[in-house]
Amino acid sequence: MGIGSRHSDDQDSEFKSPNLMAERKRRKKLGSRLLELRALMTKPAIITDAISYIHELKSHVQELSDEILSMEATSNEHEQKMEMSEVGSAQEMENWGIEPEVKVSKIDSNKLWVKLLFQKTRGGLITTIFEAMNVLGFVPIDMSAITSKGAVLITSHIEDGMQATEKIKELLLEIVTTY
Amino acid sequence: MIVNPELYEEGSACIDPSHMQYQALQEDGYSQTMVQNCNSTNFSMDDQQQMLSYPQQDAAAAAAAAAANMELEINQQMGLDLENCYNPNNNGEPHLMQDQNHQPSWETHQVLNFNHYQQIQEMQHNSNNNCSLENTANQYPQTPDLLNLFHLPNCSSSVLPNSSITFTNPTHKSGFFGDLPNTQDTTVGSSSVLYDPMFHLNLPPPPPIFRDLFQSNFPHGYNFSGTRNGALFDGMEDTEGNGEFDAGVLEFSRDLNCLGKGKGGKDVKHFATEKQRRVHLNGKYAVLKNLVPISTKPDRASVVGDAIDYIKELQRTVNELQILVEKKRYSRERLRRHMTEDESVLEVESKNMMKPQGDSDQAYNGNALRSSWLQRKSKNTEVDVRIIDDEVTIKLVQQKRINSLLFVSKVLDELQLDLQHVAGGLIGDFYSFLFNTKICEGSSVYASAIANKLIDVVDREYAASQPTSSY
Repeated sequence: MGIGSRHSDDQDSEFKSPNLMAERKRRKKLGSRLLELRALMTKPAIITDAISYIHELKSHVQELSDEILSMEATSNEHEQKMEMSEVGSAQEMENWGIEPEVKVSKIDSNKLWVKLLFQKTRGGLITTIFEAMNVLGFVPIDMSAITSKGAVLITSHIEDGMQATEKIKELLLEIVTTY
Repeated sequence: MIVNPELYEEGSACIDPSHMQYQALQEDGYSQTMVQNCNSTNFSMDDQQQMLSYPQQDAAAAAAAAAANMELEINQQMGLDLENCYNPNNNGEPHLMQDQNHQPSWETHQVLNFNHYQQIQEMQHNSNNNCSLENTANQYPQTPDLLNLFHLPNCSSSVLPNSSITFTNPTHKSGFFGDLPNTQDTTVGSSSVLYDPMFHLNLPPPPPIFRDLFQSNFPHGYNFSGTRNGALFDGMEDTEGNGEFDAGVLEFSRDLNCLGKGKGGKDVKHFATEKQRRVHLNGKYAVLKNLVPISTKPDRASVVGDAIDYIKELQRTVNELQILVEKKRYSRERLRRHMTEDESVLEVESKNMMKPQGDSDQAYNGNALRSSWLQRKSKNTEVDVRIIDDEVTIKLVQQKRINSLLFVSKVLDELQLDLQHVAGGLIGDFYSFLFNTKICEGSSVYASAIANKLIDVVDREYAASQPTSSY
C-alpha cells in the first residue's frame, strides 16, 4: 500500500495524506495523553510502579540470559576459532621479525623495570606471566600490556628489591619460551 | 480542574498538616464552596475569580490545593506583613498577620478578591464562616514575622498556633487563643488563622469589617477598590465589634489543634491514617533501595536517582541480551547450513541471509551493533564495563592495595575475553586498571555477567588476603 502510493497522482496523494495526518494526529494524541496520565500519578504509585517495573526487567534479563546459556551449551564453534588465531599470531610475529625477549633492570633500591615480549597465544599466557610475577612477590607499581603484530609487549615497574635481576630474567624467559 | 489529592500526600512537611487538615475539613462537612475556595487558592488571583463562579467543586481537589497553598500562603503572608507595617490606619486595632493553614482561611483570600466580592459575598452566605482575620498590635516587628513565615512550611505538625501565628503584640490579651472560638461565628466548626492577601493594597480595614466578615458580609470589608472601600466602610458602622477585635480573633482549626495535641476523637483517626500512609511510603522507598544494587546516598532523592540509573541499565542489558540471542540464533543457522552445504554455497547463502527476508528483525540484528554499559560498585572495588560490538572495555578501581591484576586476568580467561591491552598501576592507595579485551567469537558473555563476576572475584580475593594483609 505504501509502495503503491508512490505512483499515485497528486489527487491520490492528497487523498492518502489526510489519512496519514489523521493517523499521526491520533498517535500524538495518545502519546500526550499517556504522558499526562503519568504526570498525574501519585508519589506512592510512581514508586510502586518503579518497583514492579524493576522486577519485570530483572526477570526478563534472567530469562534471556538463561536462554543464552542454554544456547551456549549446544554450540562449540568457538573452539575452532581459538586454534586458528594462535597459528596466525605465530606467523605474524615471524613476518615482522619479532623475537621473544625479556629484560629486567634495577632502577632504584627497590624498583625494577621489566620488559617482556612474547607471542600472543590463547590460553592465558599473559595470566601465567602475571601469576609468575605474583609468586615472585612483585607488586606492580604500574603496568602496561600491548598487543600488536601477534606479539604481546609488557612493560612494568615493580616494587621489589630483594631478588637478583638476572635470575628473574631467566625465569621469565623460560616461561615465555616454553609456554 | 481536579487534582489528585494524593499528589501532595507526602514528601514535605508543610504539606502533611494541610493535607490532613483538608481531609478533616472535608470530613467535617464543610461546604463545597469552602472546599472550592481552598481549591482555587492554587491559582493566581485571576483564576480564583473564575473559580469562585463554580461553587461546586470536587472536595478532594481542595486537599490537593494544600501544597500550593502553603507556598502561596507564605508569599501572601509576606505581602500582608509588609502591608501591615505600613498600614497607617489601624484605628487602634492591632493587625495580626497570621498564616492560614486551612481551608477556611483560603476562603478569605478569595473574599478579598476585589473583582468578585459579590460572588464572594454569596459564597460567604453559603459557607461556614470560620475564617477570621487577626489584627494585633500596631507595632509589628516585621523581620521576625517574616522569619516565622518562612519557617512555617517546614514544620509539619507545628502548624500550631505557636509557630504559625505571628503575634506582634504579645501584650494583647493572653487569652487570645482561648478567645477565638468564642468570638467567632459559632457556625464554623473550625477555622484556621487566615490573613488577607489584599492588605498590601493599602486599604485600611476597619474593625467593623471583621464583624461583618463573620456575619457573612465578609466581602464588603475586603473590597479593595478605592471607591468601594469608602462605601463599604460606611456601611459598616459597627462600634461594638472593636472590643472583640482589639483582642484579635484567632481561630484555629479543630484539626490544627488536634494535630498539636494529638488528641481529639475524629482527628486522631486522620492522624493515624496519615502516619500509616507515610510509613507505607517509607517502606516503599526502602524496598526500592534494596532492589537497586548501587546506592550512593541514603536519602530519598538519591534512592530515586539510583533507581532511575538502574532501570536504564536494566533496559540496556535487556537490549544487549536480545541482540545476543538473535545473533546466536543467526549464527546457529549459519552453522547448520555450514555443516550441510559447501563452503562456496554457504558464502552465497550467508550473503543472502544478510538481506531482509521479510523478517526485518533478522536483517536488523545482523547489522545491529551491540552496545552495553554498566557499573558495579562494592565496598572496595569499582568496575565499569562497556561493550561495543565485540570489544569489551573494563575499568577497575580498587581501593585497597591488592594486586588484583592476576585475578582479573584469570577471570577474563574464563569468560573467553581476549586481552588486547592493559594499562594501569598504583595511584596512592588505589589500584586502577584499564583492560581492553575482545570477545572471542561464539562467546555469549554479556556486560552484567562480566561485571558481577569481576566484582565477585576481586572481593573474594580481598577477603582472603585480609588476615595476611601483605599485598
